Amino acid sequence: MDERKQHAPISPGVTERTKLARYRDDCPTAFSLDRRELLLTGLSLVGGLAGVPTLPATAAPPSWSQQSAAQFMEISSLLIPHRLNEEVGKRMGAAMSALNPSLSEQVTALLSIAKNKNARIVEEFFPDVPAGPLKDTALAIISAWYLGVVSDAPDAEVFAYEYALMYGPTKDVMTIPSYAISGPNGWTAEAPPLDSMPEF
Amino acid sequence: MATDDGADVVVVGTGVVGCLIAEQALDAGLSVLMLEAGPRVDRWRIVENYRNLPPGIRLFHWDAPYPPKPWAPHLETRREKESEQYLQLEGPNARAYLQGYVRYAGGATWHWAGICWRLTPEDMRLKSLYGVGRDWPFGHDVIEPYYSRAEYALGVCGPSDPAQQWPPNVKRSKPYPMGPTPFGAGEHRLTEAASKIGLMNIHAPQARNSGVSYDGRPPCCGNNNCFPVCPIAAKYDAATALPKIEAKGGRILANAVVYRIETGERKTIEAVHYFDPDKGSHRVTGKIFVIACNGIETPKLLLFSKDDRNPNGIANSSDQVGRNMMDQPKLITDIEMTEPLWTGVGPVQSSSIMNTTQGEFRSNYAGALFRMENFARSSLGAAAALKKGLVGKALDKEIRRISACTARLTVEHEPLPWPNNRLTLSSKKDWLGISKPNIYYDVSDYVRRSAKEYTVPLLHKLADGLGATSFKLSPEFLNSDHIMGGCIMGTDPTTSVVDPDCRAHDHHNLFLPGGGAMPSGTASNSTLTMTALALKAADAIVDQLRHG
Repeated sequence: MDERKQHAPISPGVTERTKLARYRDDCPTAFSLDRRELLLTGLSLVGGLAGVPTLPATAAPPSWSQQSAAQFMEISSLLIPHRLNEEVGKRMGAAMSALNPSLSEQVTALLSIAKNKNARIVEEFFPDVPAGPLKDTALAIISAWYLGVVSDAPDAEVFAYEYALMYGPTKDVMTIPSYAISGPNGWTAEAPPLDSMPEF
Repeated sequence: MATDDGADVVVVGTGVVGCLIAEQALDAGLSVLMLEAGPRVDRWRIVENYRNLPPGIRLFHWDAPYPPKPWAPHLETRREKESEQYLQLEGPNARAYLQGYVRYAGGATWHWAGICWRLTPEDMRLKSLYGVGRDWPFGHDVIEPYYSRAEYALGVCGPSDPAQQWPPNVKRSKPYPMGPTPFGAGEHRLTEAASKIGLMNIHAPQARNSGVSYDGRPPCCGNNNCFPVCPIAAKYDAATALPKIEAKGGRILANAVVYRIETGERKTIEAVHYFDPDKGSHRVTGKIFVIACNGIETPKLLLFSKDDRNPNGIANSSDQVGRNMMDQPKLITDIEMTEPLWTGVGPVQSSSIMNTTQGEFRSNYAGALFRMENFARSSLGAAAALKKGLVGKALDKEIRRISACTARLTVEHEPLPWPNNRLTLSSKKDWLGISKPNIYYDVSDYVRRSAKEYTVPLLHKLADGLGATSFKLSPEFLNSDHIMGGCIMGTDPTTSVVDPDCRAHDHHNLFLPGGGAMPSGTASNSTLTMTALALKAADAIVDQLRHG
């Protein structure tokens, strides 16, 4: 459906070009105020729209199943001693497997190394991970959770920003940019000790 | 009333300069039409763009949340190839003119740091005092009241204690409208280390609401991403002026790229012509024309508009349009320390060392401003720690250590106006067929000598005072995004483009206010001075239309 046709009807004599030369709404359709107004008037839309627009799912390859996703969360929790967001994990795992078709098997292999050591934390099994693709993948999984991206391309999709773990170790002091933790002039020059570590 | 076809005052460019002039003209009862090359975009869109940038891009590519429209290109730097697309740069210091400005309604104040230094009286008399550069055609006493007006227009916070103010020993006619923002731990540490070597790190006056709301905008709560965008408009950006201008009856046309200034008989400007995104051309008439598109786009437009009456470009009988291009050539050093410093608390820039900008040595080499960057270093710490292949507790510990124990120190040198630092029209054209700007830039020995004999040794001293164990200096001079000089001001029409009111010598109804008019660059951020010049020009424009 042509978005522009949802606006008020154009009166005769006012050309389309003149209308477009005014303030042009650059927001994407998912957040369009016009669409919100339609929702409020109770009109139903093709495809439906929940209260919160969701981002399009990254297309995972057919080999990436729900079991793969569950295993991805399991190995992530073993590699990283922090709270992990399941929604983020679902999307990131799928994206990683699209880049690395062997991800599913590698995750299974990493899990069995961990199980053989009865490992509860990463330090207990990481030395046993052989150098090469397995270690690279383990580090890539850790990196993805910390940085919120699965590749270093300049236009890589961002899966987590506020929840990216990289901000965790300093969150007692350093603001996550654009997520102020303070009030008006509400910060001080107090510096916590370097050897304390916030919980996250 | 203004229409889409004309107004008393036609303003090209909706940055801070254009917006302040527009509002003052409206307040004086004149009609105003503003033409903006780029789009009008809401703040939330920029914040979303920013949050969705990958971490490698998010921290330093300040134009990345502002993807340009095809008809209003500006610098893009995500990929190296992109940075060659629009600005054509040459000369030994081409890299130092890789200017990041934004062709969006609101202009470059969308992503500026907000720092608002005033010039000192000496800064305005380089020729008389030190035998270099040019004098301003008026003294500090003339610009001082305009500085006050600018500070109240933007909402600048600064210290009320004269011992902490800049310039020192110059009486202010009005206090700052708001008091300074507090220092974080890092800024305190730097202030201590600096004072041990005789340098004063002082609160930077900044266009940021400090502790209170101002002008309908909330106070700063330390989002620490002033560049590239303040999520709550606690930092002044000209985008907040646009609804006020419309509320007062001003008309703003976005996506309208002015490509030609039309002259008539007796050297009056008759009209400007703009392209819309469908490449249709439109003609706009007015009584007074203000070209305020920034220090690159304004001279570019003047040159591109050359006609039979003005074969060297509009307003260019002096041949100075596009010459004397200035910016503060910048060097940065990344240091690692044994003790933590802690950035990321409060605004991204909040203080600087200014006493290093002044002195007799300026007859020989450039003065310079020093500062510590206060952006949160957490993402840098994480990237570095991950590269080491660490996991678990060791990874977290190293992220914290690197984030806390590293810092970036910056030095910005003052430029001099050299005629060969010049903007000309490239043979390459943009999407609309308008010439891209070509700029030749050489920072000159005046700056190189300063770096060698003065600023880099001082940087080492400062780093030592902070207990640095490593020191990594940038291999070349970088841009500071303070574009100045291309429409230089003076009283002599044979050697300058505009008069002391930023009126073009050649065309009585054409004004070219902004950084381009500044006869001296100095080491400090240019925006407050540009804003003062905008208000001075606005006074002249209103006076001219009222009294002829």
